[in-house]
Order: sequence, then structure tokens, then C-alpha cells
Amino acid sequence: MSFRRVLAVFAGILPASLVAVIVFLAVYSWPAVRFNGVGFVTSSTWNLGNTYGSPILRDGVQVLPGAHYGILFLVAGTLLSTLLALVIAVPVGVGAAIFLAEAVPGQLRLWLSFLVELLAAVPSVVFGLWGYAVLIPLLGHTIFPIMQRLLGFVPFLGGPTGSGYGLLTAGIVLSLMIVPLIAATLRDAILAEPMVVRESAAALGATKFETVWKVVLPGVRKILIGVTILATGRALGETMAVLMVSGNALNYLPPNIYSPISTMAAFIVSQLDSALQDPTGLAVRSLAEVALMLSVISVGVNTLARLVLYRAGLKDARV
Amino acid sequence: MPTYERGGRPAGQSAHAGKAHGRVDLMSGYTTAGRGPGRRLFLGAGAAVALAGFVAAGSTPARAASVNLLETGSSLLYPLFNLWVPAYTKANPGVRITTQSTGSGTGISESISGVAQIGASDAYLSDALMKQHAGMLNIPLAISSQMINYNVPGLNATNLKFSGPVLAGIYSGKITKWNDPAIAAINPGVKLPDHAIVTVHRTDGSGDTFIFSQYLAFSTPAWQNSVGYGTTVSWPAAAGAIGANGNPGMVNAIKNTPYSIAYIGVSFKQAIADNKLGTALLENKDGKFVPLTIENVKAAAAAMTAKTPKDERISLVYAPGPSSYPIINYEYAIVKAQQPNAAVAAELRKFFTWAISPQGGNAQHFMDAVSFVALPASAAKLSTAQIDTIK
Repeated sequence: MSFRRVLAVFAGILPASLVAVIVFLAVYSWPAVRFNGVGFVTSSTWNLGNTYGSPILRDGVQVLPGAHYGILFLVAGTLLSTLLALVIAVPVGVGAAIFLAEAVPGQLRLWLSFLVELLAAVPSVVFGLWGYAVLIPLLGHTIFPIMQRLLGFVPFLGGPTGSGYGLLTAGIVLSLMIVPLIAATLRDAILAEPMVVRESAAALGATKFETVWKVVLPGVRKILIGVTILATGRALGETMAVLMVSGNALNYLPPNIYSPISTMAAFIVSQLDSALQDPTGLAVRSLAEVALMLSVISVGVNTLARLVLYRAGLKDARV
Repeated sequence: MPTYERGGRPAGQSAHAGKAHGRVDLMSGYTTAGRGPGRRLFLGAGAAVALAGFVAAGSTPARAASVNLLETGSSLLYPLFNLWVPAYTKANPGVRITTQSTGSGTGISESISGVAQIGASDAYLSDALMKQHAGMLNIPLAISSQMINYNVPGLNATNLKFSGPVLAGIYSGKITKWNDPAIAAINPGVKLPDHAIVTVHRTDGSGDTFIFSQYLAFSTPAWQNSVGYGTTVSWPAAAGAIGANGNPGMVNAIKNTPYSIAYIGVSFKQAIADNKLGTALLENKDGKFVPLTIENVKAAAAAMTAKTPKDERISLVYAPGPSSYPIINYEYAIVKAQQPNAAVAAELRKFFTWAISPQGGNAQHFMDAVSFVALPASAAKLSTAQIDTIK
């Protein structure tokens, strides 16, 4: 084989493995997909059934008595925690990007930008541990009760504040992970905006703030949208950090922002061992169905992000 | 094999040590790859493998023929294994035992898959799993028990009373406040706070979940018919319920969460005392509220050991008798009867025989350290018979 062909094979492995993973998940989870039907995404009960009972035949599938798989609470937990993360991270990320690109003088800018990018290199489990050790006691004992007292009249912000494990904590930890992504990408885009545009704005009498707000930012709008979607993809799939701070709620939808939740990715990790104790194997296949849904959503979101970024002209977007 | 020489160690010795560490496949994989057409490409990888073999051999220089055993599973049994292993390996330098606290669910699945030689579990395997994986042994090593702990400011020094039906009500979200009439009725004279109860349960597959849900199932028909028991159960929706990982996670969760309640293995008694958390009295089958004491655990064990079948898969939960503590269980080692080689099988037999011996692992000072109770003689005899079948 020529060198070129060897390289072609290696290069081909990458897309092939993506397809292979999705196909494998689809094939492997197919009995679960058939057994669970639509109820999988509309009900909030994950029940392995009686693991010490004898398997019975239901709808042509061997199942444990009482088995029912519904993951609405996981879908809700995943989407809500991601949404919260974006609500926090986008303004902070945009602010940081503008600050780094426009307000900081040369040498300092280099250092601060370096720090922001370093934040992106911190493994997510470290954020999780920090959230577990520092954030949870602080939020649960101090901040959540204050928030509830001041903002309790707002729907979703009232009610019992619980323990600190939960939706808002997960959202905050997730936002920390995606802020550097947004800030670093956007800063590069802002710096790449032609100087002529700024000079024109200044010549028309715009203040520095007006220049940034009305001229520079609209120019990078598409990049902001693209990187936000990319960040969404990362938040959706984040596992370890969420597992450590979410409270791992089972079988209920969060009644308020402080409530424990569980996400799809974290659930797969936390439930795999238990699922392996289902002798019919349906529990593991149902977890594979969760994984399949998560993969499809994540691949879809990432594709969308890349399309937006590509059309905005930023071809080598950070991942 | 130049890379072995680069490691500064004769090839034979290195390969020998590699075999003892189960790396023999990697080694032979390297040698064939080295001869093949892609030799130059693989040389770097080969050197890395040889280096790994060298490091592994270097970590146990004096005992190249040692056997490695991996123990994983129950976080309740973990503190005991951590006391056993240094004592045992000091007297038996030919064996190296690694311990992991991962939850009984992992203990069961990894011993079945063969990743771990010893799966520690507070739960025995179900009939269906036994049928599916013939030749799995459930060997009791000691008797353990479970506490119901809570963090109710002002009441942690008071031993609140709980019954199976009341706990079932709390964990199914029907009893939501600490001053609920059902709790007040069995705790006369205690001023209970008007505060929501936060239930904590295990997220990982857990033997503690197994015995706790058995207590609820055996005492409360409604729980038996809806949730049942298992190492994982489908916890009913109770507002604010938290899932925690392992017994350490449970302790941490109730420590950080006022007005919470949890079920925690007795080997964490010290941690509960250190954090000034409350421990409940539980209602037993005879309707008496009993504290968790060694005597009450022994009384419950005495009522149940005669019923233990040959394969020792039996629940000891909710034993009859006026002083029987209701949540006790055998702590199991889940082991494959058919081991991959005779050396591993021999070391396992030797270790387990030591572990259940009153002069060895079941000695009083080990049991006291984790608040366990030694295996009664009749159960130890059954365990010995099972240990002898490991081949």
C-alpha cells in the first residue's frame, strides 16, 4: 500500500467510527426502542422492575415484572440545565470578549486572554469537585434561601430551596465550562473586525461604547450564534461535573430552579452498573436508547453550529 | 528483544514478572508485531509496553511470582477490606489485593464479567442472574447492619423512632413533613419541626438500597406491591429527593442538608458520630423499637442463620424476635467458582478461609472496628463448603 492510501484509511476511520457508533447504538437499542415506544420520552418513570423476580414475556420481549422506562425527567433536566448555563454564560462570555478585545491594553490583554483560554483547559471533573465542595454548601445554605426570599414571587424561583444540589448549581457549573469557549472565540472575531469600521464609527462621532455595541457586535452576530450553539452541544453532553452537583433526581420533574435534577449523560454513567443486573438486558438497551438520543441531539446541534460558523466565515472554529 | 535489554533487566525475568501481572499477552503481542512488516512503526509502542512491564515488575521487586487480586464493590464492606488487606498481605507476601469502593452493583457486575476476582456485595444474586451465570458463588464473610440516619437540627441527639410503614411513607413522598401525624404518633413527647423532609437515596447500584428496600417491602405491603426491592429501585417521586453516591456520599449529603434522612451502612457509624447526626430506633417484626446494638444484631442473626440454605442466598432483614434489629444482612463476596488459573483459585481459597476464621478476618477487633458481627459457626461452615468449590 502506498503512503497515500495508508493515510486515506486512517482518515476514513474517523467518519466511519462516528457512523459505526450511531449504527451500533441504534441496532443495540432497537428492542428497547420497540418495547418503550413513545412513552420513553413522555413519561417520567425509570423502573427496572423487580430485579429479584423472574423475567416475563411482554410484547414479545423478555422483561422483568414491572419494568417501565420513561426519561422525560432526564430530557427536562438536560435541556433546563443547558438553558440556564447559556443564560448565564452568553452575557458573561460576550462581556469578557469585549473587555479583552477593546478595553485592555496590549500586554495585559495577552495575559488575560491566556487565562481565559486556560480556563477552557481545566478538566470538567475539576469543576465538578469544586462545585461539590465549595458551591453546594455556599448556594444551599446562603444564596438559595436569600434568592427565594427576594425573588420567591417569580414562578420557578419560589418554593423549597433544598440542599444546594440541583438545577441552578448544575447550570452555574456548566456555564463556567462554556464561558471560555464563548469568550475566546468571540474575542478573536472582534479583533478580526476591520479597523476601518471602527474608524468610520469614530469619525461619525460615535463613542467607544457605541462603536462596540452598534458597529462591532452586529458584525460578529453570526459567530456569536454559532459559538453559542457549539457551547450548547458541550453543555448537553457534559457528564461528570453534572453528576457531582445535580443531586441525581429520579422520576420527577423539577418544580423549581433549586430542585435536584438528572441529565441524560450523567444518568448513563450512574445507572450502568444497576442496569447490568437486569438479566433480560433490556435495562442496558434502554440506557443505549438514552445514549442514542443524546448522540443524535449532540451531533445535530454541533452540525448546526458548524454550519452557522462556516457561513459566518470563521472556518476553524474552536471546539 | 532489544527493548527488554534497554530496560536493564534480563528478558526472562521481565516476561515472568509480566505473566504474574497478567501482561503476558501484551508482551507476546509486541514480539510478533516487532517481526512483522510494520516493524519500525511499532517499535515505539513496543518500547512503551516493555517499559510498562518494567515498571510493573519494579513495583514488586522481591516477589516476582505474586498473584494480584482485585476487590471491588460494596462501600459498606470497603472499610473492613481496608483493615483486612494490610494484615493479611503482611503475613502472605505472595498476594497483592487491591480494594475499591464502587457500590455493590459494580461488585456484582465486575465479578460476573471477571474484571474483579472478588465482588463485594451486601446483596446476593437474583435467581435469574444465577441461572444466567452458573457457577457464581455468594459467600458470606460477616454480618452487617444498617442505620437510618437523619439531620434534624435540635433533634440529632434524640433517637427518633421509625417504623417500616412510616419510612415507606416518607420515601414514597406521602409523608412530607417532619411533624406529620404518623411520625408524631410513634415519637410522643418529641417536638418535631414543621419542615419538609429531604429523602436521600443511593444513585449507584447498592446493597444498602437492597436491604433498606427489603425492610420497607417486608413491613409494608403497599411498598412491596409498588416499588419492591433490589439493588436499584425506582424511587417514587418525593419532592427534593437527592441521589448520592456510595455511603460516603450519603453521609456527606445529610451532613450538608438539614432536615434530610438517609440509610447508611453501619461501618460508617463513626462518621455519623463525628458529624453529630441522628440515628433512629427501628420497629422490628415484633413491633418493638430497637436501637442498633451488637446484641440486637446478634439476636436477629440467631433467628435467621438456621434458615440459611446451602448457597447462602437469603435475606436476614425483618427477623422475628423481640430484640432483633430489623435491617441486618450477610456481607457477600461474589466469586466465580471457576477461576482462570489454579494459582488465583488457591490464593482466593486461602484468603477467604482466613477472612471467615475467628482467628483471622472474623476476629473481634476487626468486627468491632466496623461494628460488624462475626459469622455464626453454622454459616461459617456453609461458607467454607462454598470456598472449597473455587477451582
